[in-house]
Amino acid sequence: MSVEAQQGIASKRIPAGLGGLLPALTLIGLFFVVPVLALLLRSVTDPAPGLQNYAALLGDGTYARVFFNTFLVAAVVTIVTVLVAFPVAWMLAIMPPALASVLFGIIILSMWTNLLTRTYAWMVLLQRTGVINRALMGAGIIDQPLPLINNLTGVTIGMVYIMLPFMILPLVGTLRAIDPMTLRAAALCGASPLAAFRRILLPLSLPGIAAGGLMVFVMSLGYFVTPALLGGTSNMMLAEMIAQMIQSLLNWGLGSAAAFILLVVTMALYALQIRLVGARRAAGGA
Amino acid sequence: MLLDYDRLGWLKVVLLAFTAMVAAFLLLPVVFIVLLSFGSSRWLAFPPPGWTLKWYQELFADPSWIEAALTSARIATMTAILAVAIGLLASFALVRGTFRGREILRGLLLTPMVLPVVVFAIAIYAFFLRMGLGGTTLGFVIAHTVLALPFAIIPIATALEGFDKSIEDAAIVCGASPLQAKLRITLPSIRIGIFSAAIFSFLASWDEVVVAIFMASPTLQTLPVKIWGSLRSDLTPVIAAASSLLVALTLALMVVTALLRRKLQT
Repeated sequence: MSVEAQQGIASKRIPAGLGGLLPALTLIGLFFVVPVLALLLRSVTDPAPGLQNYAALLGDGTYARVFFNTFLVAAVVTIVTVLVAFPVAWMLAIMPPALASVLFGIIILSMWTNLLTRTYAWMVLLQRTGVINRALMGAGIIDQPLPLINNLTGVTIGMVYIMLPFMILPLVGTLRAIDPMTLRAAALCGASPLAAFRRILLPLSLPGIAAGGLMVFVMSLGYFVTPALLGGTSNMMLAEMIAQMIQSLLNWGLGSAAAFILLVVTMALYALQIRLVGARRAAGGA
Repeated sequence: MLLDYDRLGWLKVVLLAFTAMVAAFLLLPVVFIVLLSFGSSRWLAFPPPGWTLKWYQELFADPSWIEAALTSARIATMTAILAVAIGLLASFALVRGTFRGREILRGLLLTPMVLPVVVFAIAIYAFFLRMGLGGTTLGFVIAHTVLALPFAIIPIATALEGFDKSIEDAAIVCGASPLQAKLRITLPSIRIGIFSAAIFSFLASWDEVVVAIFMASPTLQTLPVKIWGSLRSDLTPVIAAASSLLVALTLALMVVTALLRRKLQT
C-alpha cells in the first residue's frame, strides 16, 4: 500500500469534507436565508419601524377571514385526501405487482404533469358549461348547473387531485411494512374484518397517516396556484393574499408580515412532523 | 386477512372498484386535456363538434409560445446542471463528513422544499429588484437552483448512503487516487441517484410558476408564466394544445426514466 493511498483513506476520517458544502451553503445562505431575513426585517420597518403591520393583520376581520379560510381549506383538503388515499394505498400495498405498476404509472403521470395543465383541465371540466355539469344535467340528476368552481368545492377538488400522490405513495410504504401475519392472527382469534381493521390495521398505519396528512396540510396551507385559479374571491387563501398585497397593492410591509406568519406556522408544523417521523423521512416524503 | 389480496373476499371488490375510480379521477384531466386540444370548438364544448389541428397551428404560429418554451428549457437545463453539481458536492459532505451539525445543515439545505414558495418568491423578488437581477436569466437560474437543490440532494444522498464505501477504499488501495476512485468507482455506482436528481431538478424549474410570475419581465417569460397569463385572460384551446405537448413530454420523460433505470440497474 502506498503512502498516498493510506493518506487517502485516512483523510476521510478527519472531520474534513466541509468544503464540499461550501457552494451549497453559499447559494442557500446568500439567495435564501438573506432574502427571507430581509423580508422579515421589512415586515417591522415598512413603512415605519414597529409592529403595526402585525397589529393590522391580526386585528382586522377581513384578514382574520383569510386566515380562517386558509385553515379551513387545508383541513378539508387533508381530510378528503386521507380518506381517498387510504383504500388506494391499501390496495397498492397488496395487489399483484403487474397491476400495481400500472397504478403507480397513473399516479406518477398525474404527479409529473405540469401543475398549470392539471389546473387548467379542472377549470374547463368544472365550469358552469363544463363537461361535469352537462353530464349531470344530461343524466337528469340536476336541472341547474352546480357552482363547482370559484368556491370551496372547486379548490377542494383541484387540491385533492394534486395532493393524492403525496399521501398515497408514503402510505403504501407504511402499509407494506405491516406484517400480514398480525392480521391473520386476528382473524384466527375470531376478530371480524371490521374489528381487525379498527384494532390492528388502522392503529398500525396511523403513523403513516399522521405524517402524510400533516405534510398535505402544510403544503395546502401555503398553496398559491390552484386556490388562485379554482377558488373564489370570497374564500381567498393566505398565499394568494400575500401575492396580491405585493403585486397589486405594492404594500410590502403588510405582505411581508403576512408571509412571515405563514412561514412561522409552516415551520412549526414541519417541526412537529420531524418529531413524528424523524428528519430524513419528513424531508424525503415530499 | 385484511392484508391478504387473495383472501379479502367481497371487500376486495369494493376496494378495487374504489381504487379504479380514483385511478380514473387521476387520469381524467390528463386525458381530457389531450382530447380537448384536438376539438374544433373554440368554446371548449365537449364532446367537440369535430376534430382539428388548428390549435396546434395557432400555437406554433405564435412566436411568443415558442420563445417561452425555449426560455423554460434553457433555464431548466442550467438549473439542473447547477443543482446536480452543487448537490453532488453537498451530498458527499453530508453523507461522508464527520463534522458536527451535519443534520442541521442538511435540514437547512432542504428547507426551500418545505417553505411555502410564495414566501420565497416575494423574498427573492425584493432581493433581486435591489441587485438588478430581476427579470434576468441569471436571476431565474439562481432562484430555481435554490428550489431545485433539495430535489437533487435527496436522491444523490440516498444513493450514496446505499453505496459501500469500502469499494472506493479498495480502489485507492489498488493505487487509484482518491479523485480517480470517486470518478471511476463511486459516481458510476450512484448514477441512478444522479440521474433522478437531474430529472427532478429539471422538472422543479420547468414547472415552477410562483417565483416565475414575480420574476418575469415582458421580455423574459417562461412557459408556465405564459400559460398563467393566458389562463387569466381566457380559456383558449391553444392552452390545451400547449398542455398536451407538456403531457407528451411528461410521458416521454417517464419512458426514458423507466428504460434508463432498467439499463443502469443491470
